[in-house]
Amino acid sequence: MDLLGQVANGFAVALTPVNLLYCFIGVFIGTLVGVLPGIGPISAMSLLLPVTLSGTPESGIIMMAGIYYGSMYGGSTTSILVNIPGEATSVVTCLDGHQMAKQGRAGPALGIAAFGSFIAGTAAVVGLMVIAPFLAGFAVAFGPAEMFSLMILGLVIVTFLTQGSMLKSLLMASAGVVLGLIGLDSITAQPRLTFDRIELYDGIGLVPVVMGLFGVAEVLTNIEQGVKRTITNTKISNLLPNKEDWQRSAGPIGRGTVLGFFLGIIPGGGAVIAAFASYALEKRISKTPERFGKGAIEGVAGPEAANNSAAGGAFIPLLTLGIPPNVVMALLLGAFVIHNIQPGPLLMVQRPDLFWGVITSMYIGNVMLLVLNLPLIGMWVQLLRLPYNILFPMILLFTVIGVFASSNNVFDLYVMLAFGLIGYLTRKLGYEAAPLVLAFVLGAIMENKLRTALIISAGDLTTFFKKPISAICLAIAAIMLLMPLIPQLRRKREAVALEDGNN
Amino acid sequence: MKSSGLRINNAELWGGAIWFAISLFVLEQGRRLGLGTVNAPGMGFMMFWLGIVMAALSLGIAVQAIKHEGPSVRALWTDTRWVKTLIVVVTFGLYGYAFISLGFLLSTIPLMLVLLRAIDPVRWSIAIPLAFGAPILVWWVLERLLQIQLPTGIFEIG
Repeated sequence: MDLLGQVANGFAVALTPVNLLYCFIGVFIGTLVGVLPGIGPISAMSLLLPVTLSGTPESGIIMMAGIYYGSMYGGSTTSILVNIPGEATSVVTCLDGHQMAKQGRAGPALGIAAFGSFIAGTAAVVGLMVIAPFLAGFAVAFGPAEMFSLMILGLVIVTFLTQGSMLKSLLMASAGVVLGLIGLDSITAQPRLTFDRIELYDGIGLVPVVMGLFGVAEVLTNIEQGVKRTITNTKISNLLPNKEDWQRSAGPIGRGTVLGFFLGIIPGGGAVIAAFASYALEKRISKTPERFGKGAIEGVAGPEAANNSAAGGAFIPLLTLGIPPNVVMALLLGAFVIHNIQPGPLLMVQRPDLFWGVITSMYIGNVMLLVLNLPLIGMWVQLLRLPYNILFPMILLFTVIGVFASSNNVFDLYVMLAFGLIGYLTRKLGYEAAPLVLAFVLGAIMENKLRTALIISAGDLTTFFKKPISAICLAIAAIMLLMPLIPQLRRKREAVALEDGNN
Repeated sequence: MKSSGLRINNAELWGGAIWFAISLFVLEQGRRLGLGTVNAPGMGFMMFWLGIVMAALSLGIAVQAIKHEGPSVRALWTDTRWVKTLIVVVTFGLYGYAFISLGFLLSTIPLMLVLLRAIDPVRWSIAIPLAFGAPILVWWVLERLLQIQLPTGIFEIG
């Protein structure tokens, strides 16, 4: 069937009343968690992972995807009005967005963020539709060696881009792989590191690990530091940007869309780096770079477009290769696995309804988000006034419910608390959780691919270097690992390294 | 960064030491599970090599901690509200124990009350309705709408 026929089928799936409802719930919750600092798409998706069981796979995955790209929209509201990014992806929006709010231009800042997000989000879906089928055809040629090397590259990119010591990030990634190996061995079906606990035979659950490391640890850190927020007292009116605003923003939105989309595809890249890269690009090519940081609308339009576009691009490695490029996509992989569906090159052939249904739902979701984020902006602002001392018990309550509902097992509550403590302590010492979580998800798959590749090649270790794709991935990974050893390159890494906690 | 030499009260050094101990454990577990051969890798193959990588990385962190001045363990908690964090952790630990024996509602309502009052106290007029209302609402949604069974405890409430 041709592309248009597939798209039409996708719309037929996405436009069913139940899928429309799930899509709305997803983008609504996404906007909500994007607006609220301290709770992000990871926590929300972990919480709702069990809910996906109650419906069809399409409905659940449409909702989960909606939370992700919805949070990209919502994150800008807090950045502009409170100067606290709702999401890591919106950090850069604070720079000019909040300055605009202080100058009484909160309306146009919020407006251009929503319109830029809509344009970029929609364009990314078009890109996804065009590139994903092509890449899926190409990905069929990926054997275990290529898959292993690609996952190694993804992990190295994540460790490279996270803030602080690369040694620490690599250590966290290694620990993540070990944690991912707990449970029954995928080849021999023998238990590993289970210590005779039957709960560990299926491995440690993703939900309690993520909720602990991100949800509970975030709350513990915020309680310790005492979060205070001041909302800019500006009247939010005239959300529609004027002609001059549009003239200034058109270029940044276009460039941010293209840049974000391709950065989103790279494993380990994603929305955070896309937003920063877009800001740097706009500032560099601007004729008036001195305006940046003082309320330049380009500094809002570009990054907001880039992070939304990257959110769309990030679906490509998951849907075509079955490899999650970031933690959020790892959770989405979890949603697929819950329904016994393996995303990858064969997904388009085996489940075209699901594949195209999810993609086309993003068009609909983007329209819903525009409606949610412009006329209802006042509601989100009111939500920002919710004090943290009320918010954090609620977050903890939801983490408890999310974890228990996902497994119906109190053991997972202890796992969550343990990982909450681990996350809190490792943050104190400057260890980032993102590499651990991504490695945890990839760990068992990586090991399986490594062993399979070695068995197929009769123990020939050079198999990883003889295959071109595998060799290229490993070469890039090696270069990135060696970069911090060269002082000049180390400084460059520190300049781009990002706090990717909630990506 | 200044060179400080070997100082025991160095949080980074302790971090490296703990990671080193963990990596030795991983390495030993990998060895016990069986390395196999290169053409037929065993269950412990990857774990063993990961243990070695982790040991090398943790030694690197320890060496950096010795070479460069790192914060003391105490400094990590100076000027913070660590007591409040401790209260949450202990409360949450107790909650884990009470969850099954008392059931969802009887354990969650006191948990919420403690969290709302002990950290940054919320007015009683808000704390009490919220501590009762939120768990009851969650219970209703899960039990009645989503049909997810929550523990009822020895009193079979909920």
